[in-house]
Amino acid sequence: MMNATTKESSHASVSSRLRELWNQYLPYWLMTPMVLVMLVITIFPGAYDLYLSLVKYKMTSPDTIGEFTGLTNYVTAFTEAGALDSFVITITFVGGALALEAVFGFVIAALLHGVESDRTETFYRVVFILPMAVAPVTLATISRIMLNSEVGIIPYLIEQLTPFAAPVFLSDIPLLTVTLVDVWHWTPFMFIIFYAGLSSVPQTLLDAARVDGAPLWRRYVHVILPYMKPVLFVAILIRMIDLFRHFGLVFSLTRGGPGTSTQLVSLNIYEQGFRFVDLGAAAAIAVVYLVLIIAIANVLIAKVGFEGVWE
Amino acid sequence: MATADSEETLKHPERRFSKDTRNRLTAIGRHAVLLVWAVVVLFPLYWLVSMSLKPAREAIALPPKWLFVPIFSNYAELAQNGEFVYAFFNTVFMVSVSVIVVLLIGVPAAYVLSRYDIPRQRDVLVWILSSRMLPPIAVVIPFFVIFRKLNLFDTRIAMMFMYITINISLVVWVMKAFFDGIPETLEEAARVDGASRFQSFLRVILPSAKPGIFSVAIISFIFAWIELLFGLVLTNQTATTVSMQVYQFIGVKQIEWGMLAAASTAVIVPVLVFLIAVNKYLAAGLSFGVVIKE
Repeated sequence: MMNATTKESSHASVSSRLRELWNQYLPYWLMTPMVLVMLVITIFPGAYDLYLSLVKYKMTSPDTIGEFTGLTNYVTAFTEAGALDSFVITITFVGGALALEAVFGFVIAALLHGVESDRTETFYRVVFILPMAVAPVTLATISRIMLNSEVGIIPYLIEQLTPFAAPVFLSDIPLLTVTLVDVWHWTPFMFIIFYAGLSSVPQTLLDAARVDGAPLWRRYVHVILPYMKPVLFVAILIRMIDLFRHFGLVFSLTRGGPGTSTQLVSLNIYEQGFRFVDLGAAAAIAVVYLVLIIAIANVLIAKVGFEGVWE
Repeated sequence: MATADSEETLKHPERRFSKDTRNRLTAIGRHAVLLVWAVVVLFPLYWLVSMSLKPAREAIALPPKWLFVPIFSNYAELAQNGEFVYAFFNTVFMVSVSVIVVLLIGVPAAYVLSRYDIPRQRDVLVWILSSRMLPPIAVVIPFFVIFRKLNLFDTRIAMMFMYITINISLVVWVMKAFFDGIPETLEEAARVDGASRFQSFLRVILPSAKPGIFSVAIISFIFAWIELLFGLVLTNQTATTVSMQVYQFIGVKQIEWGMLAAASTAVIVPVLVFLIAVNKYLAAGLSFGVVIKE
């Protein structure tokens, strides 16, 4: 830098200048790619959905594509497309699956937490996470095979072992059936996070409660659950978001049917956009859905807060 | 033990069983429930695999044939199915590249978020998490339109980009948490020895974060591997995915159960192996790094 008179040293100074720039602004260089990707994947889809929802975008009539139509798409969405129904179905599905997964996940985690043998513990822990590896299409296959009213093992076992007639799962109780299949699939998620959370409760805290002579359930309600609040909150928040994002399993298992009895919002948007090729109406539902999810998540984050989650 | 027992009965005369008996009963109840859940988990998986190993007629026989000689003709037939094999390796390729790229983008950013004072750091983190809240169907519609305009419809590059979108927030959050857990003194020592900040990141921090990187890579791989929607909307042939192939098998009118079961099994076997490999770090990974044990 100081004696940049000869060619060699000026060459050296360029590279050392570059290195200096690299080191000086290191955090910016390291953050830039991530920030760019994040801008593209958060701002762009939301903004473009909003644009699409305000214009005509029927791929069957290419001439009118892009014409501004005001709120027509929103009207279509909530009349012909039955968006309201799919919102009700989605909330039922999300609420039911979330509650069952949280309860089952917690009970199993609490029971496994008391197992003393390391080998048994590892065995159960590994078995219990397996469902998460099952792809939605594979799970749809399994469910179709096992629930089929002619060749399925589950209706067969119900009729053999109980006096009841087996329901035709996917046409008599479709929403309950897909909810239960999802519970099989994702209870492991709750289990594994709750289990790690339970293991982090300090032994001294538990011992103190035990010395007090508090019965088990009171130890849970007054000591363990409050301590685990951030963990419970995070697991339920993430799972809830993922349930709202749900698509693959229900789509490949029922395609929203019979009728529209399992048509979640995601499936409804897909149908509008790619079966009725009306991307405008699809985008209108998507915009409402986005606003709803972000509102729910923000309310939860503001209400419960991330205390304990953020150091 | 005996004194403890009698003290116990003195204190709680209404209890009918001694502490020992009660402990034993609790243990039995505990194992009964755990065992039932294990059966609930394993039975469908067993059913799928056993179906894939049976000839067509036995596969759907009721009462089921519990004992059978496994045959591999369903898998042999599957290996002959060019489209399936293509889709399988195509997905392996696309998902693997996307995981490498998402790590290259996400891990350095996570390091910065962990070590530097970023203005409004909390808002930045929530913003990153918010990308995970967008339902894929709402994201895929704009990209469907754009990719068609850019001639990127049904290309691997478009699919890899979509896989990055679903995993970037996970990588940043989990890796930030892992970096937070690595003491700063480690890299300070390296910097005293004359290493630059970036060198100490490469040589000191990255090696210590290996388990974190490994598990976040595998969880990202799984999330992309099981994805159906992007393949459905954004591909046709060239960039098709293994999930799409299985989905098309399901749609066939004359279902060949054995073949369908074999294809479905082939989709989950690699993932099962991976999942078991990272089972210790799964809680940290799935909770976005909020729960970190040990």
